[in-house]
Amino acid sequence: MRRPRFRRARKRDTAQTELVYHDRASYALDAQLASLAAAGDDNAFTSLVTRFHPAVFRWSLIFADDPDEAEDIAQEVFVRVHRQIGDYRSDGPLEGWLYRITRRAAAQLRRTRRRRGRLALTPAARPLRDVYTTDPGGRVDRQRAATVIRELFAGLPRRQREVFDLVDLQGLSPAEAAERMGMKPVTVRAHLFKARKAIRDALLATHPAYGELSR
Amino acid sequence: MKCQECLEELATGSLRDLQVDSPVMQHCAICPDCGPLATALRDREYTAATVLNSLPPMSNPITIAETAGVISRRRRLGKIAVFATGAALVATVWTSIFLTATGQRMFNIDGLPNLHTETIALTCLSPDQAGDLIGPYLRENGSLYYVSKSGVRAITIRGSRKELATARQMIGEFEGNDPVACDWNRKFNDMQGALKRAGFGDAATGGGRSADMVPNPVVDPNPVVEPTPVPVPNPANPPNPSRKR
Repeated sequence: MRRPRFRRARKRDTAQTELVYHDRASYALDAQLASLAAAGDDNAFTSLVTRFHPAVFRWSLIFADDPDEAEDIAQEVFVRVHRQIGDYRSDGPLEGWLYRITRRAAAQLRRTRRRRGRLALTPAARPLRDVYTTDPGGRVDRQRAATVIRELFAGLPRRQREVFDLVDLQGLSPAEAAERMGMKPVTVRAHLFKARKAIRDALLATHPAYGELSR
Repeated sequence: MKCQECLEELATGSLRDLQVDSPVMQHCAICPDCGPLATALRDREYTAATVLNSLPPMSNPITIAETAGVISRRRRLGKIAVFATGAALVATVWTSIFLTATGQRMFNIDGLPNLHTETIALTCLSPDQAGDLIGPYLRENGSLYYVSKSGVRAITIRGSRKELATARQMIGEFEGNDPVACDWNRKFNDMQGALKRAGFGDAATGGGRSADMVPNPVVDPNPVVEPTPVPVPNPANPPNPSRKR
């Protein structure tokens, strides 16, 4: 059981080292912030959080059922980053490292919640958490986001969610998504194919000729 | 392009990559069924991308960073506490095993009674007699002796090395120091067994040999013929050869 996990880890490392850095200045800044934070500089860590919080929150939205859960995931990600920042090797982009932490944190949070029975209710039936906000527009945006997540991703497996979001919603190429997820591009394309089909099926079913397509 | 092909393309293709001059878009421009469908699909994904990509996090990043630091330090302390508790637990278990008699007995550590099994053959004493002799010396937990019920003249003892040595010594003393009694005892037992086999039962226990204890003559199928005595020739008076003839 351990052997495939080890192989996957090695594959991921290889993919990471082969990455081409488009923005060298950004990469250097990330590496500098990470090394300062690892040395115990709280200001550097705060800068790092400020820099990556929106991205981590955006990634968390795909693993969560609503924006509030995404906030919890993002918080957990930065707790882990604070503890593990010393393990970060500057031979890969900090963004990819953070993305992997986000995936693991989200998966762990889901497992914990499932174990505690908090996910017994479906996302649709779950009452919205009462998050205080002085911005009514912000509240509307969050509700819309929750609706979008429910509509698009409710029935999708986690990997298909990720791939569809990275490629079709965030605009990455399948190869870039594969690098970020530590998967082969062909696997990413297969997940993308299934995800698109699952998401568009309901709408396509309204077409008169859909019966022939589904056959 | 037919509606079928267009639908197949729309079902799994990338809507971002659809150009105006692509066959799918050209078909959608003229088809009353596929056109609205393609537009609806693109709208939905565009809206989803816009909503998700433009949604800012509610939390303040500075608060997030501070909370992360606090929780991280608390978890580190918790980890140390868990490690220390585990180490203390291991130390306690270790101590209880090696310093208390219960632990030593439970894990059979050297220096404590290690039970062995040994079978001692008996020549003189009966197994029950041997058991009576050694019983008081088997005092360790789990020490036992076994006596065969099938009549084998042996006793099996389970006990510590010390107990086994004592048992051997005791049995040896009683088996070796009274050879006469031991011999008489064995002979008596053998005779008693022979009488029982011959059908006299308990009559032999009366002791002594009387006329009514004589067993019925048993006809031996292969009787041993005693050799006839051969006269020893006397050198002073040799036999007469003429007479012999």
